[in-house]
Amino acid sequence: MNAQVSLTVSDLQGWYGESKALHGMTFEVGAGEVVTLLGRNGAGKTTTLRAIMGLLRKKKGEIRFDGEDVAGRMPEYIARRGIAYCPEERGIFASLTVEENLFLPPVIAQGGMALEDIYALFPNIAERRNSQGTKLSGGEQQMLAIARILRTGANLLLLDEPTEGLAPVIVQQIGAVIRKLKERGFTVLLVEQNFRFASKLADRHYVVEHGRVIDTLTAADVAGNLDRIQSYLKV
Amino acid sequence: MMAFLGISPQLLFGQLLIGLINGVFYAMMSLGVAIIFGMLRIGNFVHGAQYMLGAFGAWYLLHLPDLFPGLGLPSLGYWWALALVPVAVGLIGAFMERVFIRRVYELEHAYGLLLTVGLTMVIEGLFNVGYGAAGQRYDIPATLKGGVNLGFMFLPYYRLWVIAAGLFVCALTWYIVERTKLGAYLRAATENPNLVRAFGINVPRMLMLTYAFGVGLAGLAGVMAAPIYQVSPQMGQSIIITIFAVVVIGGMGSISGAIFTGLMLGMIEGLTKVFWPQASTTVIFVIMVLVLILRPAGLFGKETASVHAANISMARPNSFLENGRLWLPILSGVGVVLPFLVYPVFGMKIMCFALFACAYNLIFGYVGLLAFGHAAFFGSSAYIAAFTAASWGFPPEFAVLSGMTVATVMGAVFGWLAIRRQGLYFAMITLALAQLVYFYALQAPWTHGEDGIQSVPRGYLFGFIDLEDTMNMYYFVLAVFLIGFAAIYRIGRSPFGQILKSIRENELRAISLGYSTDRFKLLAFTLSAMFAGLAGATKAIVFQIASLADLYFTTSADALLMTLIGGVGTLLGPIVGAIVVVAMQKEFATLGAWVVVVQGAAFVLCVLFLRKGVVGTFEDWLATRSESKRNAAGYTADLAAKGAE
Repeated sequence: MNAQVSLTVSDLQGWYGESKALHGMTFEVGAGEVVTLLGRNGAGKTTTLRAIMGLLRKKKGEIRFDGEDVAGRMPEYIARRGIAYCPEERGIFASLTVEENLFLPPVIAQGGMALEDIYALFPNIAERRNSQGTKLSGGEQQMLAIARILRTGANLLLLDEPTEGLAPVIVQQIGAVIRKLKERGFTVLLVEQNFRFASKLADRHYVVEHGRVIDTLTAADVAGNLDRIQSYLKV
Repeated sequence: MMAFLGISPQLLFGQLLIGLINGVFYAMMSLGVAIIFGMLRIGNFVHGAQYMLGAFGAWYLLHLPDLFPGLGLPSLGYWWALALVPVAVGLIGAFMERVFIRRVYELEHAYGLLLTVGLTMVIEGLFNVGYGAAGQRYDIPATLKGGVNLGFMFLPYYRLWVIAAGLFVCALTWYIVERTKLGAYLRAATENPNLVRAFGINVPRMLMLTYAFGVGLAGLAGVMAAPIYQVSPQMGQSIIITIFAVVVIGGMGSISGAIFTGLMLGMIEGLTKVFWPQASTTVIFVIMVLVLILRPAGLFGKETASVHAANISMARPNSFLENGRLWLPILSGVGVVLPFLVYPVFGMKIMCFALFACAYNLIFGYVGLLAFGHAAFFGSSAYIAAFTAASWGFPPEFAVLSGMTVATVMGAVFGWLAIRRQGLYFAMITLALAQLVYFYALQAPWTHGEDGIQSVPRGYLFGFIDLEDTMNMYYFVLAVFLIGFAAIYRIGRSPFGQILKSIRENELRAISLGYSTDRFKLLAFTLSAMFAGLAGATKAIVFQIASLADLYFTTSADALLMTLIGGVGTLLGPIVGAIVVVAMQKEFATLGAWVVVVQGAAFVLCVLFLRKGVVGTFEDWLATRSESKRNAAGYTADLAAKGAE
């Protein structure tokens, strides 16, 4: 594990109204790592990201980012501390053009990617910059949702199922993008159900079930434990 | 210049100019309402009062030396007002957002509307106390006096300035929202505020600024209107209902659409004044009806169909307070002895309004539709009953039945129109339709305008029971009330009533179970109108008068307030609410204009602190008490069982 820790989540519990969704999530993401939360539908992966982002109000436990406990903070504060969020439903705004979508998140720190680099990474977006945001294809929307959080200077990216519902060729492209992001030094917390996709990218995997982490595997463990992993994820 | 259809060009262009000016005000105001509605999801009923504040602000600045003598303050004229007042009104708006409106964002839409209705009543009531109905003069600024003769008409400079400045402000607003970075934040936050927050933007502060901006626009419109109209506490009262109609016609989602619709409707109103003056007050509402029939989403609407009723019923179905079979005999008993304890007329008033509130509760509490125009049914029925009894000599039972019939038919038509739109739009449409009826009654010859229909004979019930006798009258009202109450209870408990409640809780689910929810909503709305009509007609016979007040929106607001105070959706809530409100009106009657202020404050306090209402809170308390008792009993039983082992 890297010497420097980016994010520590300890004994995180969360509720949607009366029903409890997180039952003591505990995990860690080192700076510069790509870490996945694996698990079935409803295991609490998305809820964990929402809790980290401050979007889940009713919660207990500790969320430490760069040493600061941000568990009680508002989303806008957490974003400005350097966490960026790409939601599962992508959240492309229909009333904004592609370019307006791309420029929407304010720059919060230096060190974000330059516009040319982003356009180089996502050539489709450059082509369609004046279209309405939701006129893009599903894959392009996913690219845009990732692209717009790279400009801001945030260094921890929360990506929620970026491959969901996309064609295999697009999934490969997104895989390549995440690899490039890792090379550039971004820290990525990835929520996935697609283990084959995640296994090629991540340094570590946390398996989530019923709102808690039930197993941890490093990239090196994966090859010898495929059966175990299949049993966690099969429906 | 040629005369057109026998109408002189001076008149035609003169009215078109007035229409255009009104249109500019409509555009500026509906822009503010639309932006606030889009961002905050608040139907800002208090917008009219804020417009009035703008006009008064200008007037205050002019009279600073008179208002604060001895401080040596200068009298600040129009241009100062134009710069300072919108900012001041915007700040007041920011304060109101911070203190009141922010608290209801996460609640049902209905509360936002109720809260702003309450604030409106407080503000307008206070100004009414201070200045009465009389208007204050505000002169056109010296630099803009005079005008230019265009040959076919005389164009005053001030009006030209209002049109130019108003259009400029509208265009500027359009530019900010549609073309700037700030506008992009606004549009994005309208779609998904949480995600925008997660990008690091302080959305709560943005909401406050948006509200302040929209309100500031109203204040600006008020300053600009001050030299044209008289500065009076009532100036914002009817404009807000028109503005709501404009927003319904234009539809959400288009800033340019709101501007265009406002201008167009002002011009149409002006033209109507030329060709058919009587219809000019109602033409906008008629256009609204046509638009709803032909293009329900509005002219520029791209409405995201949110099938969502206001599920704010506070009733706990198992509580004994919801058991009508228990309460019907109790209420009958109390009703029989009541006239020996209180003044019978007071009792009759309570029963009429309690029935009205029960009828309203049927649509608002059971189905969750925020109707805001029940005065139309209550008042029309009162007028019909009064008219048939006074002019045609109908006996009271037929007069009441005629009133009820008319109210039922109106309910069917209004319901048919209003259920085409959801949520707050439903409220705006019912409000506008009721205003249409109000303006009709103001002008129609048979309603006698401001006087109303007076000295309605009570007559002989079934030909032989003399209702001039107070006790006879009282027991007739009691019978009407009990029949209405029992019928509404029965409807709520029937399979039909269960379907209504399922629509309230989850309309999509009800649809997917195969119910044509629109038909159920329409039927419920019609029934609700019918019982409101029964209440109104009975009231007209009891008090021997039908007046414009019965039709005014404050009567709709009364029904809402009673239901809210008592407990939305509960069996007894409307009755408790009616007792509270009627007693309050009686107690504060000596305070004159303060009544409205007190009632508005009651609205605000109820929305903020007593959302469950009296009965709802009581039912909650009973439920938690019995639960903790049961828990305690369970615990001792456990101990006993353990001891036995």
